[in-house]
Amino acid sequence: MKLPKIRELIEAIKALFTGPYTSKFPGKPHVPHKNFRGQPKYDSSKCVGCLACEEICPAGAISHRDEVTLPVPRRIMIHYTDTCIFCGSCEAYCIANNEGIKLSQDWELSFFDRKKESYETIEKELVLCEICGKVIGCKDHLIWIAERIGELAFSNPTLYQTRLKRFGLVDENLISAARDKSRADRFKILCAPCRRAMTKESEPDSEMV
Amino acid sequence: MAKTIIPIGPFHPLQEEPEYFSLTVEGETVVDVDVELGYNHRGIEKLSESKTYDQVPFVVERICGICSTSHPYAYVKAVEDISGCTIPERAEYIRTIIAEGERIHSHLLWLGLAGHFLGYNTVYMWVWKLREEILDVMEILSGNRNNYAMFKPGGVRRDIREEDIPFVIKKIDSIVKTLDMLKKAILDDPVLHARLKGIGILKREDAIDYSALGPTSRASGVAKDVRKDAPYGAYDKVEWKMIVTEKGDVFDKVVVRVLEVFESISIMKSCLLSLPKGPIDANLADIVPGEGIGVHEAPRGETFHYVRSDGSNRPTRHKVRAPTFMNLPTCKSTVIGAAIADAAIILASIDPCYCCTERLAVCRIDGKRMMNGGELIRLSVEKTEKLKKEMGRR
Amino acid sequence: MTREEIVTTLKSRYSGQIIDFLDKSKSRIYMEIKPESLRTIAAYVFKELEARFNTASGVDNRFHIEILYHFTIDSINLLISFRVKVNRENPVIDSLTSVFKGADFIEREMHELLGIEFTGQPDKRRLLLSDQWPEGVHPLRSDYKEWDSDAIRDRGV
Repeated sequence: MKLPKIRELIEAIKALFTGPYTSKFPGKPHVPHKNFRGQPKYDSSKCVGCLACEEICPAGAISHRDEVTLPVPRRIMIHYTDTCIFCGSCEAYCIANNEGIKLSQDWELSFFDRKKESYETIEKELVLCEICGKVIGCKDHLIWIAERIGELAFSNPTLYQTRLKRFGLVDENLISAARDKSRADRFKILCAPCRRAMTKESEPDSEMV
Repeated sequence: MAKTIIPIGPFHPLQEEPEYFSLTVEGETVVDVDVELGYNHRGIEKLSESKTYDQVPFVVERICGICSTSHPYAYVKAVEDISGCTIPERAEYIRTIIAEGERIHSHLLWLGLAGHFLGYNTVYMWVWKLREEILDVMEILSGNRNNYAMFKPGGVRRDIREEDIPFVIKKIDSIVKTLDMLKKAILDDPVLHARLKGIGILKREDAIDYSALGPTSRASGVAKDVRKDAPYGAYDKVEWKMIVTEKGDVFDKVVVRVLEVFESISIMKSCLLSLPKGPIDANLADIVPGEGIGVHEAPRGETFHYVRSDGSNRPTRHKVRAPTFMNLPTCKSTVIGAAIADAAIILASIDPCYCCTERLAVCRIDGKRMMNGGELIRLSVEKTEKLKKEMGRR
Repeated sequence: MTREEIVTTLKSRYSGQIIDFLDKSKSRIYMEIKPESLRTIAAYVFKELEARFNTASGVDNRFHIEILYHFTIDSINLLISFRVKVNRENPVIDSLTSVFKGADFIEREMHELLGIEFTGQPDKRRLLLSDQWPEGVHPLRSDYKEWDSDAIRDRGV
């Protein structure tokens, strides 16, 4: 029983010289490994506002609010940092090359006021239906779809006009001039139910179809 | 002699988990024991019926912070059992690596706590220092110290990067060296011998009768291990041996766990060295209607998940059976007859995990009112406000 | 005993008791049996075949309450699930605690969560649900509705 004691004694002496194992945390900041999964952060230039992350989030930490009464309608994407479980599903399912929302290295997330500090937001421009005013989707999302499907996008006025507007090729006054339900409406930016109703109403006029 | 009832709980002073043991004692000897659970029942099985197949792993991962791989592993195996798909070999290896890493840290955690229960805090400090190293390894491999978020039906979510492997292996080797010293120090320590040998004996017949699992049954000579009996993952591709001891006392349970850590390290290392290349996800198609069972040898024993699907994207029934659920009743045969001073360590010797065993938190304040999640948060917000004022901020 | 021997023995021994038999895969067998024969079959499987009792899982499928008793024979890696269907209005079944002690906790759990009555179960106290939980409300029944009108299910801010 003496020998084991010597072995432990050696370990104790070694520990005496190596100093404490614990880090001097509040004094010295902790830098996590680069693989660390920290708080997800939106990149407002890359996010397209498609809401895939909201759909997949297992904790329900992502939600959105559509502000349609503003001069420029906006979608506000909200990420609740206190509900987040840092699983990385949002990044994995992000349609914008997994770059719209990305896990960061942030881990110091404590705050005082849950009402004010527990979330972060980004704003994305919305495209509204020109007849009923309902939300079609985010501008960037429609452009993303139009770019993805290439020339096929020209079969859908909503898509190609959103895209062309970006280059300044479409005069907005021109399209919105005709307010009545005429054929000109077909070239407006419309939501799906309005487009269906429009197509149905202008059916007899088959020359252009 | 008069009987006295000694309550331990509802909040265990040492294990720091909510459970209630009432020990009926005659003098120094425990004559009856009763367990009361349910202080932490969160309705996970019900919750999981409202999540999609892809989201459930995150829910079951949070059943318990220590078994944060066991539950997802058993769940994904159950889902794969429904669809009958095979998963890529690389994913199997990565799953095994993560599961074994968890076993190492879980056994070390228990070993440290066992020292703490006995009042032997040197063991506690030493072992937990080592456990920290293994948690660092897990952070490199999965991105977090616990709750690895690696599992999904059909594969894994995250790949292990080639450039991390040499560093991880170096770290594991350094752990083995210290652990070896620790093993010798613990296994021939006279104090631990005096405290642990011959107490809390779980007889072989009792272990079978209670269907005890994991190290609890293996210490009693019941050689059952899901990893050997029904091989899955990479367990049949690497060399390792099952640790079985005969006596069934608390010391044997320590021995089983300490030696299992070495086996786990060797499994983890050989998996890392022979990690095959290829895809990590089988891209599981829709789940067909049916039922499936998944089992995984968690650090505490076999975790059992039963999933039933009706063809939609959510499970219609998900049953979770944690190992402690089977192991806890064995206290009736181990604690009765023991001295009261030994009761704490005997009750702890099954490595109980109450979070797993209970799966609505309801608290009572002022004797009659019930508090739910929202009110508890409000209470905590009020407390934060108070603290804020005290600290003189804003 | 090999897998085939076990299957044929079970089939011949309890031919009148087995309603349905499903050979799902190499290591999974599902067997629907009559409720009254549960205790004898479970005793046979546990004692003679040296199976290990995994757990039981109750499912409310709106027509019946199904209870699945899972047993594993570790030496040949075979998981046998015995399915028992009981009446939904008055679910009564024999308790298995007299056969093996491991069934105690799971029966108490199923009694609370699904409202199944186990005849011969010595311990009828609550295991998981809180003391305030009303009698006769079983959370895993398919017709379960929120009973606590004061419950707040928001983020709390």
